[in-house]
Amino acid sequence: MKQHLSVPIHSNRKVAQDIYLLELECPLFAQAARPGQFVNIYFPGSLKIFPRPFSIAGIRGECIQILYKVVGSQTRLMRTWKPGDSIRILGLLGNSFELDQSAETHVLLAGGIGVAPLLFLADWLSEQGIQAHFFIGVQTENQHADYADLKSRLYLSSDDGSIGFRGNVVEHFQEVLAELRRPIRAYACGPDAMLHNLAGYCLEKEIDLQLSLEKVMACGLGLCQGCVVKMRKPIDGNSYKLVCKDGPVFKADEVLFDE
Amino acid sequence: MSDLSVALGAKLTLANPILTASGTFGYGDELSDLLDLEQFGGIVTKSLSLKPREGNPPPRIVETPAGMINSIGLANLGLDRFLDEKAAFLGQLKSTVIVNVAGREQAEYIEVVRRLQSMPWIAGFEINVSCPNVKQGGIEFGVNPELLGDLVSSLRNQTDKFLMIKLSPNVNDIRPLAECAQRNGADAVSMINTLYGSAIDIHSRRPKIHTVFGGLSGPAIKPVAIAHIIKAARVIDIPIIGIGGIQDGADVVEFLLAGASAVQLGTVNFFDPTAITGILAFLRK
Repeated sequence: MKQHLSVPIHSNRKVAQDIYLLELECPLFAQAARPGQFVNIYFPGSLKIFPRPFSIAGIRGECIQILYKVVGSQTRLMRTWKPGDSIRILGLLGNSFELDQSAETHVLLAGGIGVAPLLFLADWLSEQGIQAHFFIGVQTENQHADYADLKSRLYLSSDDGSIGFRGNVVEHFQEVLAELRRPIRAYACGPDAMLHNLAGYCLEKEIDLQLSLEKVMACGLGLCQGCVVKMRKPIDGNSYKLVCKDGPVFKADEVLFDE
Repeated sequence: MSDLSVALGAKLTLANPILTASGTFGYGDELSDLLDLEQFGGIVTKSLSLKPREGNPPPRIVETPAGMINSIGLANLGLDRFLDEKAAFLGQLKSTVIVNVAGREQAEYIEVVRRLQSMPWIAGFEINVSCPNVKQGGIEFGVNPELLGDLVSSLRNQTDKFLMIKLSPNVNDIRPLAECAQRNGADAVSMINTLYGSAIDIHSRRPKIHTVFGGLSGPAIKPVAIAHIIKAARVIDIPIIGIGGIQDGADVVEFLLAGASAVQLGTVNFFDPTAITGILAFLRK
């Protein structure tokens, strides 16, 4: 289902240093969204013409949640949006994480703002009676939001050791892996370097891993062919897939990170 | 409802003067659940080459002020798969379908047109002689009147269908090329394709586009398009299809005043995918 909609803002609040949670009243998407999918947010009249893609971070009633980090002019503008304002969005875009019911352990690995789609996935898993092991890594303590209502088992880490495990999220996972029951299905989102590193590790340890990737996108619909990611095996002579349309979720062993 | 139909010479009449621009609308099927495609006066498909092309390595796009640079490299599925996978969908549309054709050399353009020219659902061809993003992507044809003349006349010999030549703005003077297209039998010219552009990441000190140079499009290039169209309209009689940064109904009117008979919507499909609806409402007023 793809719809271009004007939707009211239900709430928009700070949840950690530079991290905000935006709730949009959109019953249509709240009903149909699956973890991993994203929406485009439009900025009419901006000199920066591209819409910005955001993973859906959760569903609360008739609202979809967007978790965003303030990094540039568009997210600085978003920070000023007030309940009752309306914005334009396009959704539902992209594919979704594939759940493997046969796995004994579901591991979620988030680096920084990559936590967004995994929060939705954690909710989804818990609705099915699955308690995920959720690794969330940040640089420093104040970047962690309050995850009190998450039903997952949390493993927090920070680069500077100010909260939880000292180190990155992949190192934290490596520390804990021996305690987790196999077979394991892992799902991750975060910076490219983290995903690259994690993909190599999971391949070595024979852990099925799905990645939600991020690329600069112009359209989100597969029209511009801009957001390509290279695959290990070409299909019909084409080694590129589109993050917006074929993804954003890919099996880690399909993706070629070296380029 | 007011009649927006427009005749582009004797061979082709569009229900309204708004077409899609090649490469910004796929083959129509990507948008079919979002938009009523039949709102468009015509659909110009993504550039089609004889063989599939996987396109350029990333990064392929970068946002620039009021625009973007792309270097996709004519990624497309090639003629055989186009016929297998896209023809049925395009064939059942009520809209006018124009197939954009790209080639490395004259023989490739001719072969694609030859094999498509008997398809009843194809109203015409737009010939991409101006893609800046592939080696021998046709751009030599687009900047050299002699090569262009040869290409246009040999395509004219292949098909009686509507034949439109998409011109490059990356020339000192677009008039000789427009005149050359007309003299060799083209039914129309479309202009402008993208402008050469580049952008550099100041932190990594590297180009933001893998191929270093790409094609600039979007609202930023509209004045360039208007200027080229005014110049071309003074020297040719065949219709001009205006392209370049159009985002609303007022822009369309500006292109028509400059001398265009119809227009194409390009980059706006990315940042305002339902722009067509507002544009048609504006034109009907």
